[in-house]
Amino acid sequence: MKQFRNMAYPYIVWSVIMIVLPMLMILMYAFTQKGNDVLTFRFTIENFLKFFSDPIFLDVLRRSLWVALLTTVLCLLLGYPIAYIISQTSGRKKILLVMLITIPMWINMLVRTYAWVGILQDKGLINTLLGYIGIGPLPLIYTDFAVVLGMVYNFIPFMILQIYTSLSKMDKSYLEAASDLGANKVESFIKITLPLSLPGVISGITLVFLPAVSSFFIPKMLGGGQYVLIGNVIESQFLTSGNWNFGSAISLIMAIIIMISMYITKKVDKTGQKEGGR
Amino acid sequence: MKQSKKILSKLYMALVLAFFYLPILYTVVFSFNSGRSLTRFDGFSLRWYEKMFNDSSMMSAIFYTIAIAVLATIISTIVGTIAAIGLSNSKKVVRGIMEQVNNLPIMNPEIVTAIGLLMFFSMLGIRKGFTTMLLAHVMFCIPYVMLSVMPKLRSLDPNLADAALDLGATPWQALVKVIVPQIMPGIISGALIAFTMSFDDFIISYFVTGNGVNNISILVYTMSKRVNPSINALSTLIILMITIILVVVNVVPIIKEQREKKKKRAQLQEEA
Amino acid sequence: MKKLIQFKNIVKEFDGQLVLRGINLDIYENEFVTLLGPSGCGKTTLLRILGGFLTADEGQVLFDNEDITQLPPYKREINTVFQKYALFPHMNVYDNVAFGLKIKKEPKDVIEQKVKRMLKLVGLEEYGKRQVTEMSGGQQQRVAIARALVNEPMVLLLDEPLGALDLKLRKEMQHELKKIQQEVGITFIFVTHDQEEALTMSDKIVVLKDGEIQQIGSPTDIYNEPANEFVARFIGESNIIDGIMVQDKEVVFEDKHFACLDVGFAPNEKVDVVIRPEDLDIVPREQGKLKGVVKSVLFKGVHYETIVETRSGTSITVTMHVSEAKPVVNTEAKEYMSANDFYLDLEDIAELNDAEIIARADAQAWDSETEDWISIHKVEYQIEPKTGTYPVTFSTKAGTMVSANMFVREANRIASKEYEEEIFAVNFFKKVDEIQESMALDTDLKTWANASAWSLEDDSAVEITDVVYDFDVENLTPGDYQVTFKTEGYEYMIDTTDKHEVGEEVGLMFMPEDIHIMSKKGSY
Repeated sequence: MKQFRNMAYPYIVWSVIMIVLPMLMILMYAFTQKGNDVLTFRFTIENFLKFFSDPIFLDVLRRSLWVALLTTVLCLLLGYPIAYIISQTSGRKKILLVMLITIPMWINMLVRTYAWVGILQDKGLINTLLGYIGIGPLPLIYTDFAVVLGMVYNFIPFMILQIYTSLSKMDKSYLEAASDLGANKVESFIKITLPLSLPGVISGITLVFLPAVSSFFIPKMLGGGQYVLIGNVIESQFLTSGNWNFGSAISLIMAIIIMISMYITKKVDKTGQKEGGR
Repeated sequence: MKQSKKILSKLYMALVLAFFYLPILYTVVFSFNSGRSLTRFDGFSLRWYEKMFNDSSMMSAIFYTIAIAVLATIISTIVGTIAAIGLSNSKKVVRGIMEQVNNLPIMNPEIVTAIGLLMFFSMLGIRKGFTTMLLAHVMFCIPYVMLSVMPKLRSLDPNLADAALDLGATPWQALVKVIVPQIMPGIISGALIAFTMSFDDFIISYFVTGNGVNNISILVYTMSKRVNPSINALSTLIILMITIILVVVNVVPIIKEQREKKKKRAQLQEEA
Repeated sequence: MKKLIQFKNIVKEFDGQLVLRGINLDIYENEFVTLLGPSGCGKTTLLRILGGFLTADEGQVLFDNEDITQLPPYKREINTVFQKYALFPHMNVYDNVAFGLKIKKEPKDVIEQKVKRMLKLVGLEEYGKRQVTEMSGGQQQRVAIARALVNEPMVLLLDEPLGALDLKLRKEMQHELKKIQQEVGITFIFVTHDQEEALTMSDKIVVLKDGEIQQIGSPTDIYNEPANEFVARFIGESNIIDGIMVQDKEVVFEDKHFACLDVGFAPNEKVDVVIRPEDLDIVPREQGKLKGVVKSVLFKGVHYETIVETRSGTSITVTMHVSEAKPVVNTEAKEYMSANDFYLDLEDIAELNDAEIIARADAQAWDSETEDWISIHKVEYQIEPKTGTYPVTFSTKAGTMVSANMFVREANRIASKEYEEEIFAVNFFKKVDEIQESMALDTDLKTWANASAWSLEDDSAVEITDVVYDFDVENLTPGDYQVTFKTEGYEYMIDTTDKHEVGEEVGLMFMPEDIHIMSKKGSY
């Protein structure tokens, strides 16, 4: 239907202006200096040198990656069994469980994160409960623990749903074939289910790692004002110190790190699948 | 052995669900607390709701959130659907490039999209506020609408539009009478995604807004530094709204289906 | 009759590939025309150009002497029944059929009358309120026809409309379509790849291949006088033999001269000779124009499809050395091991490796109790690139060992120039029990002897259809045996009413008028 083809043109124009142009601006700002009119583009890598020569920033970067990695691993370890359990149920129960996992995702993340502030406080729900059995109060809020907990809480549904989708897409006859060929339950899980659910695991990892590494409101709300991750640095560059060039450079660095880690995950996925296929 | 495994998996499931719902429940319960504490329940009261409704900043945030969500949903659904139909009939190369471009706001960290828009709006000299926020929301909602409409278009019989033209319909008539009714489920779910994306958005709104125009997320973020139980009331309101939307969206089709089944049964009986 | 549609030199290209290469075709009023050809021949493209869904890169389409090349589909007096029908799934049967009339804004009562009449024509008058998604394939088919015909087009296009139906329904619909066409009296243009469908329904058949028209004619013309080998093969099964036209009315094939009716070929021109299976008769051997042996007989319901071979294919005979050798036993490690001697070609030595040697020698090691296979750990051998005998030793980790000999020889092959085919195989060694345990002996013999055959013309592989041996597998004793591998020879398919026995020696009889000669050049 060639007649409908021109219906795409307005959006093509729109997306060049609203999607591509802003991205190009980040690139331009990242390679120019403050006070320098962007239009008289003068190329410099000063912003990147500043970032990589300052141990404070490097420390922030290291911590961001560590927190994101820990979050991703925890989401995978805690989420996979849930996805597997759901995929083993059937009918109404399955639909219900998927809905129960999905509903919190629809509720505003800030609202759900804010709830944890109350729960984790020194006099909060957890410490009150611990108090009854004579423990604590433990320092919970404004710690690494609180930040990672907040991230796992916010992002684990992505992991569960991705893995669940790939598990439920799996043809049950593969498992029947495996057991027919003499594999026991554990073997067929390792040899069939796990490799076939790998695409779900990979996209789950992507969907968790990406927001985790760039998150800034979870560390701020649960980690306190002193808790700084790379997202917080970008935020402050743009909204308080007003150094857009440096902020753009940092977000470019972050975007590149994310791209590299996705590339690696995809690579691992491919080799893993090859081995699975053998 | 098998039994114990089952119990174990049920227990684990229950624990995870508790983890998911505890904070939500907590928020709802403490929104009715008569005291200020976030830990001790002193008694039932609606005082925080009263406070919320009298708080002009909260009320304006609710207004802006809903206004922007509704407008962004309408605009992005229409634009996204038109663009999806156009692209699905475009050459492969164009479609491939546009899919990549569309992926940018979906795959990029939101903060990157946000600062890009922030700089872009300031370059154009647009005053930060309602307009910038709406434009930004439309921008990130359209790709989700298209993502939801595209598969419906792809699964369409490629001859369907041709059949309409063959029977004398102009391209426009073919679109309105045949194509759009066919992809309606995709359009609706796209609109729903767009609405909730816009309704819940924080990061992008936070960067592109200004001049006192806030949405609920921004308000929660800025107010969360101090203990403020009216946030719980606001949160409960949001939870209620989303729950109602979800129930309507999920239950209405089931009711419809059952009604149709009944109708069909009646029809069959008639025929018999 | 009046010319209704004229295609003039239509050319269409998709992604650099010519799909239509200059089509010229006239279609008349009230004709049932079939565009017939294999998938990818351009028949659907031509139909879509006529429907207005595609524009030709070159050429013109005239409709009633008016140029409609650039006219959009909704302005053409043509309607289409699409592949898989393209019914509107969100409408019921009535609304589907009424769609075109509603677009034209005809008055409601007129629409109702027309739709009702049309539904009656296709036998669905009771089904107006049904959802189309709830209907069977055959019913959907009828709705699609009604939806198109209700607009009273001058031409109805049908794009493989019966493809999705099962055999029985297809036959029914063929008759029904023909009946409807005669009733409404308009031109039907029907696209199909099914030759039988084309033959039963059409007034005129257009055979297409690779974007070119091969032949235009009535079903009888096309069946009896196919223009070339492609048409002959595509329209029903045929015996097609290479021949030489010595002079007018005289053709030579299988080294014999035969009278025929065809004229106009160059002296000694190479031709294809077509004889339809139903035109051949099986007669006693001495009365036949050709002599052969019955190779297979298949009952086809009303007749027997008998295959007679008049000349066998290329063959090769190799020697199979059968030995009684028992496996080597390693009592300590509880392992058995065995390997065969084997022949190698000189030219194979360069590509020799351990895996290849293990495969050729069929070297195996297994646990004496569980019969589980044990991997072969080491292969030791020395070989030089000249003929001779070289020992090879296989061993397992546990130290069980077995030896075999590699006999390097010149290639062991024969060629038959006459058939322009070559066949190849080697002598081989086997043990009694290996032969007896084979689950598919013919295939295994081919593998063991490394037998293969190919055409000397274009190097393409030729199938080995026969494996002949005369040993008794059950009571096989050690010794040398002959195994012969054969390719297919000249075979004729004959439709007969009598049953003949496989192996029976018979003669083949045919009349001069049964021979159809086609030029090798492929044009008509």
